[in-house]
Amino acid sequence: MSPLTAVSAKTPPWRDIRVLRWLFQLVVLAIVVGILYWLYSNYQVNISKSKIPTDLRFLGNPANFTFPGQEFDQSSPVRAAFVQGFYNTLRVAIAGILLSIALGTLIGMARLSKNFLVRAVSTAYVEVIRNIPLLLLLTFMNLAVVLQTFPRIEDAWKPLDLFVVSNRGIAIPWFDGSTNTLLVVIALSVVAAISVGWWRTRRSDRTGRPARSLSASLLAFIVVSVGAWMALGYSWTLPVVADRGTEGGLRLDPSFFALLVTLVIYTSSHIAEIVRGSILAVPRGQGEAADALALSHGTKMRLVILPQAFRIALPAIGNQAMNLIKNSSLGAAISYFELTQVAQITVGNGSPAVPAFTLTLVVYLCISLVTSLILNLFNRRLALVER
Amino acid sequence: MKKSVSLIAASAAFALLLAGCAGGGEVTPAADSSGSNESNETAAPMASSASVYDAVMEAGVVRCGTRDALPGFAVLQDDGEHVGFDSDFCRVIAAAVLGDATAVEMVDLETADRFTALQNGSIDVLVRNTTWTASRDGGEGATFVQTNFYDGQGMMVESGAYTSVADMNGAVVCVAKGTTTEGNAALESSRRGLNWEVRAFDDTDLLLEAFLAGQCDGWSSDVSQLTGFRSAYPDGPAALTILPEVFSKEPLGPAVLDGDTQWAQVVNWAVLATIQAEEFGITSANVDSFLTSEDVTIQRFLGVEIETDEGSAALDPGLGLPTDFAYQVVKQVGNYGEIFEAHLAPLGLERGVNALWTDGGLMYAPPYR
Repeated sequence: MSPLTAVSAKTPPWRDIRVLRWLFQLVVLAIVVGILYWLYSNYQVNISKSKIPTDLRFLGNPANFTFPGQEFDQSSPVRAAFVQGFYNTLRVAIAGILLSIALGTLIGMARLSKNFLVRAVSTAYVEVIRNIPLLLLLTFMNLAVVLQTFPRIEDAWKPLDLFVVSNRGIAIPWFDGSTNTLLVVIALSVVAAISVGWWRTRRSDRTGRPARSLSASLLAFIVVSVGAWMALGYSWTLPVVADRGTEGGLRLDPSFFALLVTLVIYTSSHIAEIVRGSILAVPRGQGEAADALALSHGTKMRLVILPQAFRIALPAIGNQAMNLIKNSSLGAAISYFELTQVAQITVGNGSPAVPAFTLTLVVYLCISLVTSLILNLFNRRLALVER
Repeated sequence: MKKSVSLIAASAAFALLLAGCAGGGEVTPAADSSGSNESNETAAPMASSASVYDAVMEAGVVRCGTRDALPGFAVLQDDGEHVGFDSDFCRVIAAAVLGDATAVEMVDLETADRFTALQNGSIDVLVRNTTWTASRDGGEGATFVQTNFYDGQGMMVESGAYTSVADMNGAVVCVAKGTTTEGNAALESSRRGLNWEVRAFDDTDLLLEAFLAGQCDGWSSDVSQLTGFRSAYPDGPAALTILPEVFSKEPLGPAVLDGDTQWAQVVNWAVLATIQAEEFGITSANVDSFLTSEDVTIQRFLGVEIETDEGSAALDPGLGLPTDFAYQVVKQVGNYGEIFEAHLAPLGLERGVNALWTDGGLMYAPPYR
């Protein structure tokens, strides 16, 4: 018996690390499933005892409430209220994401400015806002800024007679006509802008002449939208104070305004740090090469640094966008009628709580997963191909 | 390669989820009940079918869902005591069931959470000026007992702003979220063609802030609540006017969880005892003198032993309540009129429809025999 044969002997299963690992995971899994089953069966028993419905039939009941500042018949079903709440969530989320990316990028670049004042102000902004709880910021914005700083409707601010600002909302000049037509015109203009930009780039590739695709696209956008506006005879309406509110123009609900501004301020402070980090993460040689070509600072940023920084920043900015969508549920705290608020109100008005909130939960999950899917597709196209 | 695999996995997960979204509505009631029958056999301790009554007797305390800042109905004072009409009815229930009006645990609830608290058993009874409606009976799994306050929704405005609800064209009307007032206000607006913008607020503190800042033209709620808030208004009660119109029926009363008849009856008779006591003229001050009353209906009511041929015994109608529960309720808390006078009259509320039926009101207790 040499020691070598003893080593090659088969390990018994109770001492085999591979078997033990499997066993351990199975035990943990069994415990988790057991706890979930116990919770679910308790729920079932308690719910059947109290005769509370667990299905989604409540969606057909009349909603019995209205949306402030929006057309909504209170006899419409709860389902319609959820859809309206979903739109309101999307409205604040899309506007919020676009604005916070714009503001965040500006502040992120300002953080790297050579100007001391710009750098100091943007650093202070990021450090202050990032370190405040979002709910507190939102409550402050609603109570201190919108309710107390904005005037009563009787003495509303009317800058240039174009806007009406009061604590009942902010009214801005808007198109006089249906929103759907407006959306079609905007879509047409965007399509025109993209195709002109694409055509300019191709022409530049073929002939070697400067593309200037950005200015060409902008021009196409303006030509198409103004042309459609002229053709359809669109006109503006200016908001005026009437009765106890405003008439004409587009009125932004005070809670929408408070929520949007808070989300943009908060998210942009996070995006600013991502942008700053991404710009610093672009290899130093890229900037030096641009300098060697004697590119101006603006051209260097636009053509060399920012496109590469954008690649690095995209996944992190995507996460911030998803955070913003989820944070928009805090609107319920200041009575912005988004999905969470609608769920709370319908539950207060007689809809069963567990199915209503489960539905809300699933809708948020769906929004986040769709956003994530889009971002992943986008990211896959943009990511550097490494070989 | 790795990326495309994870992408496929992500989209597969998403498809699965969408299927889940679509299939969510197809849970049939039959499947639900069969599932629950099975689990009834192996019920966990939490899911036993015992009455709340037994749990209360065992715990020696009634957990009463209430609120902390509604003047007249329930206000949490600095010393930690809840004072008000609803708080006293919590004590009425404790006095009836446990013989001790102080054996009550007040649980402060937000309006939107109150039924959830009842459903999940974190309170035994909800006494939180809650309107009895059909969908709350059906959808929220609540059983309402004797109404202890008949209320109606009204409108409060700054004094001098309006004289009638009909003048309030295009007004912003503020209400508390998750209440029947929301729907009533919207209905009243469309019925009168007034085009109100109804704003709902998370709680009344936020509503008050908005009202003070001039975001609202009107504050709509039950008249009793409006009276309460007016009495505590920072600029003094005279700054606000409650308009004469009342546009809904709001019967307020205690609620218990569905499917527990014994506990519902116990709570019901505790409330009824206060009404019956007022009808008899029995107050907390004179209740002891009634113990020697010759009137057999009063003897039955107070649990006095009645002499018969078969010996002497107090009436026990089999509710599960002690025979002297009415005595304890009146002695320790008071009759309906006393509770009303102590908490609601100071706000400026009249008895109105909440008077006894003998005075032309709606307060009527079935005979105790």
